[in-house]
Amino acid sequence: MEIYLPIAELSMNVFVLLGLGAAAGLLAGMFGVGGGFLATPLLIFVGIPPAVAVASQANQVIANSVSSLQVHWRRGNVDLRMGLVLLLGGMVGSSAGVWLFTYLKRIGQIDFVIAVLYVVMLSTIGLLMLAESLSTYVKRRRNPESPRGKLHTHYLVHRLPLKLRFYKSKLYISALLPVGLGFLIGILSAILGVGGGFVLVPAMIYLLGMPTAVVIGTSNFQILFVAANVTFLQATTNGTVDVVLALLLILGGVVGAPIGSRLAAKLPGVVLRGLMSVLILAVAAELLVELLRTPASPFSLGAREVSP
Amino acid sequence: MKRLMIALVASIFWVSGAQAQGPRVDPPSTGLPPSVPAESTTPDLIVDLSRARVSITSAFQGESILMFGMFDPPGEVVVVVVGPEARETVLRKQRFLGLWLNTGRQSFDDVPAYYAIAASQPLQRLLARSAGGEILSLEDRMSTVKPVGPRAAAELAQFRGGLVEVKRREGLYPAAIGQVTVQAGRLFRVDLPFPSRLPEGVYEVKAYLLRDGRIVAAVSRPLPVGKVGFSAQLAGWASHDGPLYGLGAIVMALFAGWLGGAVMRRL
Repeated sequence: MEIYLPIAELSMNVFVLLGLGAAAGLLAGMFGVGGGFLATPLLIFVGIPPAVAVASQANQVIANSVSSLQVHWRRGNVDLRMGLVLLLGGMVGSSAGVWLFTYLKRIGQIDFVIAVLYVVMLSTIGLLMLAESLSTYVKRRRNPESPRGKLHTHYLVHRLPLKLRFYKSKLYISALLPVGLGFLIGILSAILGVGGGFVLVPAMIYLLGMPTAVVIGTSNFQILFVAANVTFLQATTNGTVDVVLALLLILGGVVGAPIGSRLAAKLPGVVLRGLMSVLILAVAAELLVELLRTPASPFSLGAREVSP
Repeated sequence: MKRLMIALVASIFWVSGAQAQGPRVDPPSTGLPPSVPAESTTPDLIVDLSRARVSITSAFQGESILMFGMFDPPGEVVVVVVGPEARETVLRKQRFLGLWLNTGRQSFDDVPAYYAIAASQPLQRLLARSAGGEILSLEDRMSTVKPVGPRAAAELAQFRGGLVEVKRREGLYPAAIGQVTVQAGRLFRVDLPFPSRLPEGVYEVKAYLLRDGRIVAAVSRPLPVGKVGFSAQLAGWASHDGPLYGLGAIVMALFAGWLGGAVMRRL
C-alpha cells in the first residue's frame, strides 16, 4: 500500500515506513536510546530526501522520548537540574545546528556531511561499546563477583570552574561540562535528525560519571525539548518536516518499543550492548561503502527554484 | 509568415475548440454543434484529455493521462507535453580522498519540469522535413536552456547531459518517444505517463497536425498538476505558515507518543 508524502513529494510503501519505525522503536525499548541513528540512514537509503528524513525524524524523536519519559518521570529517574543544564546547551546547539544544516543544504553538501558524520560517530561508538562489552564479558567469566569500584573516576574535566551540585546524580561538577555536552548533542540532533541518546547516554555515564539509573530519564528529558526545537526550526526555515512520514514512524515505534523492552528483560546487559555495537557498526559500514563506491551516476539535482 | 499562419490556425481552432467544450456527450458521435455555422473553418484537429487535471492525492502513485482526438487526413500527429519552467541546479560528484562528494555545480534557467513527445511516426522522419523550430526533440529543447554564469562549452555539455540523465531517471523526461496510435485513419490516442515524483504547476499539452513536414494545425491544452485534499492542505500549511505547522507537528508527536506509551503499557 503506497502513500503520498506531501512534503517529501513522493509516494512510499506504508509498511516499509511502519517497519522502519518499529525497528527504531525496538531499539528504543531494548537499549533505552532512540533508534533515530538507525532510522535516519535507512530512510535515506529507501529514497527519502535527506533534508526531509532528518527533519521528520526529529519530529518522531519527540514522540519517542515523551513515551519513555513518562515511565522514568514516574519512577523519579530524572535529574531535573542536570536536565535543565544540559538543555541550556542543547537549545543553543540545536539552533546553531539548524542554521548550519540550512547553509550546507544551500551549498549542496548536506548529504555528504550527514553521511560522514554518521560514519565517524557510529564507528567510534560501535567500537567503544564492543570493546567495553567484550572486556566486561571476559572479566565476569574470570571473576564473577568483581568488587565494586569507585563511584566514578576523576578526570581533568572535573577541575573546571562553575561547579554545581547535582544531588540526584551525586555529582559536584562544573556546569560547563553538561552545557558543552548539550551543545554538541544539539548540533548532532539538528544535522542528523537523532535524539542523540546513543552519544548522550555513554557520555553521561563515562564522561560526567552519572549513575546509570538516572541517565536514561534525564537524557530523555533533554532530548524531548531539543527535538521539539529542531522540529520547530526545521519547519520554519527549511519546511522539511513531513508529519505524515513522522506519524507513520511513530505508529511503528509504538508497536516496536514494548517488544524491545520485553526482549531486553530476557537478555543480559552485556549481550545487549554487544548486539547493539554490532548493529551500529553494520550501519556505519554500509554508509562508508556508499561513500566509497563509485555512484551509478555522478549527477544529482539541487532544489528547483521557481523564478518569482 | 509561416509562423503567423500557424498562430492564426491555432487561435481559430482554439476558439472553436473552446465552444465545442459545452455539454459534450461523446466527441465522435456529436457532429457539429448547431451553433457553429457549417461553412466556418472546420477544425483540422480536435483533441481532448481524459482528465482536466492531475490531482496529487494521498494515494498518488503517478498517473497516465489519455489524450485523444480526431484529425483530417492525411497527416501525422505529434504531441508535446511541457512542464513549468524553473531554474535547476545540477550537482556533480567526484572522488576526493577516496570519497565521493559534490565538487561541481551548474545552474540552468528555463528548464522544463517535464518534457515528453509522442508521435504517430518515427519523430526523426517527421522533423527531418522540419516542422523544426516549433516542435523540438528533447535534445533540441535542452540545448536551449540557459546556463547561469560562464563555463567552458565541453563542461556545460556534461552538466546538461547530467540534467537529462537525472530527469530521465525520475521519469520526468521519458526516454522513448511515445506512440500516437491512429485508428481508421483519423482517430488518434496517446497515453501520457506522469511519475509519482511530479513537480506542481500548469503543464502544457500541445498537439500538432503535420502534413508534408509542415504544421497545418496546432492545439494547446493547459494541464494543471497540483496536490489536492489532505496532502494539499498539509503542504500549503507547511509552506505558508511554517511556525504554526511546526507547532502542530510538535503537538501531534507529543500526543501520539503519550498515547502510544500509555496504550502499550496496558497491553
